[in-house]
Amino acid sequence: MPEFLMEPFMQRALWMALALGPACGLLGVFVTARRMSFFSDTVSHAALTGVAAGFLAGFDNPTVPVLLFCLLVAMAMLWLRERTRLLNDTIMAVLLSVSVALGVILLSLQRNRWAELDKYLLGDVLSVGWSDVAWSTGAAVAVSALVMAFLNPLALLSAHEDLAHVSGARVRLLNYGFVVLLTLAVSLSIRALGILLVTSMVVLPPAAARVLVRSLRAHVLLTVVLGLVGAVGGVLLSYPLNLPTGPTVTMVFGCLFAVALAVSRLRSHPRA
Amino acid sequence: MPAIDVRGVRVRLGDVEVLRGVSLRVPRGQMVALIGPNGSGKTTLLRCLLGLQRLDAGEVRLLGEPVGPRVLRRIGYVPQRLPLEPSFALSVREFLALRRPDTRRWFFQRTRATDDVLLRHAPGLGLETLLGRPLSGLSGGQLQRVLIAYSLLGEPELLLLDEPTAGVDTPGEQDFYELIADVHARLGITVVLVSHDLGMVFRRASWVYALNGVICCEGRPEEVMNADSLKAAYGIHVTPYHHHHHHPANGTAPEGGVPIAFHPRR
Repeated sequence: MPEFLMEPFMQRALWMALALGPACGLLGVFVTARRMSFFSDTVSHAALTGVAAGFLAGFDNPTVPVLLFCLLVAMAMLWLRERTRLLNDTIMAVLLSVSVALGVILLSLQRNRWAELDKYLLGDVLSVGWSDVAWSTGAAVAVSALVMAFLNPLALLSAHEDLAHVSGARVRLLNYGFVVLLTLAVSLSIRALGILLVTSMVVLPPAAARVLVRSLRAHVLLTVVLGLVGAVGGVLLSYPLNLPTGPTVTMVFGCLFAVALAVSRLRSHPRA
Repeated sequence: MPAIDVRGVRVRLGDVEVLRGVSLRVPRGQMVALIGPNGSGKTTLLRCLLGLQRLDAGEVRLLGEPVGPRVLRRIGYVPQRLPLEPSFALSVREFLALRRPDTRRWFFQRTRATDDVLLRHAPGLGLETLLGRPLSGLSGGQLQRVLIAYSLLGEPELLLLDEPTAGVDTPGEQDFYELIADVHARLGITVVLVSHDLGMVFRRASWVYALNGVICCEGRPEEVMNADSLKAAYGIHVTPYHHHHHHPANGTAPEGGVPIAFHPRR
């Protein structure tokens, strides 16, 4: 076994990848189906204010303030969607820009923490502690279990909300529940991939899987596998190549997407 | 007991009172049409029937019960279209299996019995060749057949269809209405069609409600399809006249009667 795999920081990073890669991918199947990719981007950017507020309040590890602020923004998004006639992307653009601006202003009040910002913007999974690993693993298990338990109503909800209502699904509860799970997964993945790249872990595995499958069952299975391979593969490659881990994970997801696309093209246009 | 009993329903959306005291009773076993111009409140009324729209006043009862999860289990609903993202890989089989407890399995496990149940409860819709295909790859006509099948799998006593042929080509429209007429004749369920298609209404419906904020008129198609009633509903002068379709092969009108067309005059 390569020596670097015995290092505790690498083991923690691999735990994070093992837990979050499949869970984020699983959520991503429904995120992409429901046109919510920009939603996860908005939630992740809101984390900047959570980080800044956490620093200001004296937290060394701002995981809890990040989670709380991301949830606040997610709920604001749902509330505005229900109570106003604004389009979803308008609401998300408003909340994204306001929360980033607020985060930068709060950070400017404490310039001594400015250097730590990179860790949150681009992710630094090699620096996480065991408490981060515990939070992320717990959240990933809970998210995956709940999505799998509610797979049927979620599928129906993604096909047509009104039809889901008529068929007996509790549409509002499902919508709020899904948003809470997505927010939980995104905000806890920020330490691994960073605010700027965390959406790639949610969107790229289901996008890669989609071009190869024709059923939801196959889509879910392949997405979970690609989420696992991409996250673990990225962490493993980043160390010997001496590359930043978050961007390497995203590039591995990007490569998996390109390979899936090529395979699907070959399947649909086989050479004579 | 009527299939649908709507009494004095008022709904305000923003500054506009879209429904201004709508009352109607649809007897069981009928195939009726709800017509009206854009903005007349057809979709809002349908949403009231499905429990998706809060009422400002009035009452809606379906099959003798107030609208709620219990009675909605006895209703079939065919939406205008499925706004499916192509990245959603739900197959026709997986989608249809969601409608019934005896086909709905954890993680979409498939058994031969599942297909048998699906095909037995939605016969004559040509589902055999569609079951394995992704829902988002279907044509408009195929998707409508799948949506009808989804409704029929719930063994509904009342079927509500919202502009069901929007996005379907003309031959597909004809097939679709024949299918609905067949379902209505075979199963004897109450069918409510919300439609712009006045020709279809004339040919297929046994009773017509013309809506424009209120029910302007109702009656058999030949009673409602006159200039005064249509002016009340559409706000413009509409003169029905008969088309004579010439078939090059035999020079006769299509089977099923002469379609009606409308000539608007402002």
